Amino acid sequence: MTTDLTPLPPRPRYARRTAGLAVTVALVATAAVAVLVVNLVGGTLYFYNADEAVEERASIGDRRFTLQGTPIGCSIVEGLSGNESVVAFSVMFAGTAVDVVHFGDPAELFQADVSVVLDGGWVEQSPQVAGFAPLANDGWHFASDRMRVKHDNDYINREGYDERLARSAEAGGSTEVVCEA
Amino acid sequence: MKNIATSVDAATTKSRATQILGFVVLFGVLALILLGFFAAPEDDEQRDAVRMIFVHVPSAFLTYAAFSVTAAGSLMWLWKRSRWWDIVAHSAAEIGVIFCGLTLFTGSVWGRPTWNTYWDWGDVRLVTTLILFLMMVGYLALRAAGGEENAVATRAAVVGLLAAVNIPIINRSVEWWANRTLHQRSSLTDGNLEDLTLFTLVVGIVVWVLFFVWAMIHRFRIGWLEHQLRDIELQAAIAGRRAETANDPTGGSLP
Repeated sequence: MTTDLTPLPPRPRYARRTAGLAVTVALVATAAVAVLVVNLVGGTLYFYNADEAVEERASIGDRRFTLQGTPIGCSIVEGLSGNESVVAFSVMFAGTAVDVVHFGDPAELFQADVSVVLDGGWVEQSPQVAGFAPLANDGWHFASDRMRVKHDNDYINREGYDERLARSAEAGGSTEVVCEA
Repeated sequence: MKNIATSVDAATTKSRATQILGFVVLFGVLALILLGFFAAPEDDEQRDAVRMIFVHVPSAFLTYAAFSVTAAGSLMWLWKRSRWWDIVAHSAAEIGVIFCGLTLFTGSVWGRPTWNTYWDWGDVRLVTTLILFLMMVGYLALRAAGGEENAVATRAAVVGLLAAVNIPIINRSVEWWANRTLHQRSSLTDGNLEDLTLFTLVVGIVVWVLFFVWAMIHRFRIGWLEHQLRDIELQAAIAGRRAETANDPTGGSLP
């Protein structure tokens, strides 16, 4: 038998170590719960949909915020704003349009009718991009410098997509209706 | 020590059933690779990036399942004080952390070409999943920190149950914050999937479930053997101490 069975001396620090561990676990758990609560509450304001952003324009002021909307196909124009390359387009949500000037390259999957989430702020000026016909045209635009694509949960191959487009056209696709209007 | 060594050497976590199950899982992974890469169609918007769904969604599903098993095991430990349930909870937590890590990793890799970002701190589902991952890593750290076996099991059970509160929040977040999340809604229940895409996704989930069962059996048996080993060592130590005391002319009184 090689196990050392010599009685161990008392370990007065054991209680302190256990208490330390308990405090650490409690602190980490509290921090996790705090982050969770902040995130859940913040999640309700993660982004403004286009209609809310217009409605809250006065209270938002010139601070940065996140905007969500669906790009309207006929409005998308690549061009220059000053010397910077931009993409100008209008987004819609719940029937309200917002004109957007995005500085830098658009997201890889950026396209008409696929919602985008944009970081930026309000600018009280009509967008000055050659060839861009703003749909909102209300003397404001949203200047964006970060774009995420909010794709949906449809996973369709070409044949299915074509059928879907055909069905959408029969029903009066949203892009066509908005652009004609 | 000879008895202990013999017992450990003779112990094994495999059985005929787990060997067969292991081969089924291997075959399933192979089938999943073939289906996912070559048979399932690409998506018109996401192109080939959509194939990440065949790993990401099953991993997320198994994350929920594994941590739910941990919660059930934790509850049963607190109620029945059954070592069997404690080992079930611990085993499921270890495997669940792997699945949760895989969910976060594949989601991040998938997010770059589709969302245009690896991560977004504003998205509820992403952050709550990260919190679940960190809590369960904390669960394992608490286990690894050591201490009296029952006390460790009780502390871990409390953490396991607290972490499980997060599971329905994560799962329902895309519904509760439907117009406030970057993450899309459920692909399985609300999505519009091509037949072969759906079939491959279901195959992925079945393969992951079988892997989970296989891994659970092995990890549980390891946990059970460790528990038995501790018992054997304790009995050996007590027997040795008794032998020393019997041979001690002073009667073995402790200082």
